[in-house]
Amino acid sequence: MSFGLSAANVVETRGLTKRFGSGVVAVRNLDLNVHRGEVYGFLGPNGAGKTTTLRMLVGLVAPTSGLATVAGGHPGSRTSLARIGAMIEAPAFWPYLSGRDNLRLLARYCGAPESRIGPLLEEVELAQRAKDKFSTYSTGMKQRLGVAGALLKEPDLLILDEPTNGLDPQGMADFRQLIKRLGHGDRTVLLSSHLLNEVEQICTRVGVISKGTLVAEGTIDELRGGAQLFVRATPVDAARRELESEAGADNVSVQADGAFGVKVDLGRAAAINRRLVVAGIDVSEVRPGERSLEDVFMELTGTQGGL
Amino acid sequence: MWVVIGILVVLGVGLTYIVVYLVATHAPVAPRRGITAAQLATLRASVYPAAYVKRAMSQMGNVGGAFALILGVLMQGSEFGWQTVKTTYVQLPGRLAVLGGRLITLGLLVLIMVLALFAVDAAASYSLGQIDGSSSAFPAPDEMARAAGAAWLILAFWAAFGFGLATVFRQSALAIGLGLAYGLVLEVLVFALLSGLGDSVKQVHVWFPVANTGYLIQSFGTVAAEGASGSGAIAATPDADATHAMLVLCAYLIGLVVISGALARRRDVS
Repeated sequence: MSFGLSAANVVETRGLTKRFGSGVVAVRNLDLNVHRGEVYGFLGPNGAGKTTTLRMLVGLVAPTSGLATVAGGHPGSRTSLARIGAMIEAPAFWPYLSGRDNLRLLARYCGAPESRIGPLLEEVELAQRAKDKFSTYSTGMKQRLGVAGALLKEPDLLILDEPTNGLDPQGMADFRQLIKRLGHGDRTVLLSSHLLNEVEQICTRVGVISKGTLVAEGTIDELRGGAQLFVRATPVDAARRELESEAGADNVSVQADGAFGVKVDLGRAAAINRRLVVAGIDVSEVRPGERSLEDVFMELTGTQGGL
Repeated sequence: MWVVIGILVVLGVGLTYIVVYLVATHAPVAPRRGITAAQLATLRASVYPAAYVKRAMSQMGNVGGAFALILGVLMQGSEFGWQTVKTTYVQLPGRLAVLGGRLITLGLLVLIMVLALFAVDAAASYSLGQIDGSSSAFPAPDEMARAAGAAWLILAFWAAFGFGLATVFRQSALAIGLGLAYGLVLEVLVFALLSGLGDSVKQVHVWFPVANTGYLIQSFGTVAAEGASGSGAIAATPDADATHAMLVLCAYLIGLVVISGALARRRDVS
């Protein structure tokens, strides 16, 4: 079911839930807000429910309950699909057809003019191999053809599900540049990924999903929770007491290497340094620092040491 | 798809004309084994144009059915194998339109299959008739048209059966295996085993699809000297007429299309 969409949002879900026949709840009460014109990163560990969510948004999977409006229509409706380009998981094409013929066939399916195919192949840098069969393409070429297929309708909303999966570092870098180009202007890009570096470089806002539940949504700066002071001092216990006294216990965290992260106005750095020195504590480093997206992600999803 | 149709045409003409003609012209007469000169002459005459419709229709049993089933499975099962189902479903036409397009294409492919079989059969029949100096007169055009229509219905049923199985199982291998097992063995075997229970079993059997493909084939006559071996389901005297067979096959065809459509429309694509 769909509902009235906020003017600023291209995708909006309320209480979206998917329970499979086996009893597994893949997505639970998801409230997602993707704003018009942004590159939205949909982050989550493997198995968190990202692909199921995207499948619900394009109508491939029916939600068990909840509401969703995608690009002005009910997920999977003609209104919605007319404005969406999607590549869900691995790009799927007819292996015996060339890249160009695959796009021709898709153009007929979606009513797009064939004149768009040439420029799109140039855009994704596949023009040289357009006459080759899809089955002979490398992983990166298949992904790029998938993006070209998703762009045929000149969509307002481009949905890409882990588009850099299986790519080598150079391929991933090229793909990031491509997505940045595609996200310019009014087009909205909804990009799912479990690669934090990728999301950090490309996305303007992020939603984090864990075990089927959206655990955070906002800009990357909002998720990081603002700036903090990085302090390295010994003895550690005495330094901790002083810092907690200065900034409050909740705002002091001990990092893996024994240094402290202190959530405090950075303008108080000199005062904190003076207090530690006066207390007889040796201070070897005081500098502005910030939590990485990885730190935030691990806190939110409870994952440890990578994904 | 074209490979499947090509193999069927080659196999069909090879088995029903070339092999039969070679047997009829080269097999030794052996009355003690039941092979008489008269039987061989009848067999030889069965490849001539006059028996063209009976001979062509004999291909629509097991052999034609198996190939049409494979065609139907590949039409739908391949889309699941390549995962192009999800690619097409997120385009504009909608699931039912995509499915409808595939079914119409399948129907046209079956028509091409039938026309190719009939054309190559006609050429083989004419050629063999000319070699033996036989009459080159074919049956009346309306009879040939009726036969082509019946052949299309039979093969369309098998193709829809394969299409439906591939839709249910979302793959090709299991669909082909189960489809062939049912078409070639299960129905015939089960009803053969139950035949000892009396006429009530026959009354049930006349509503099953393989039996009805047999009734329809047999309504055009069977090739003399070969008996009714064109289909495992054909009895010496059919238990139902052509009209009954056509209606039952049409019902199965529509049922399979409806089931495929309902599944395509409602099921998640994962």
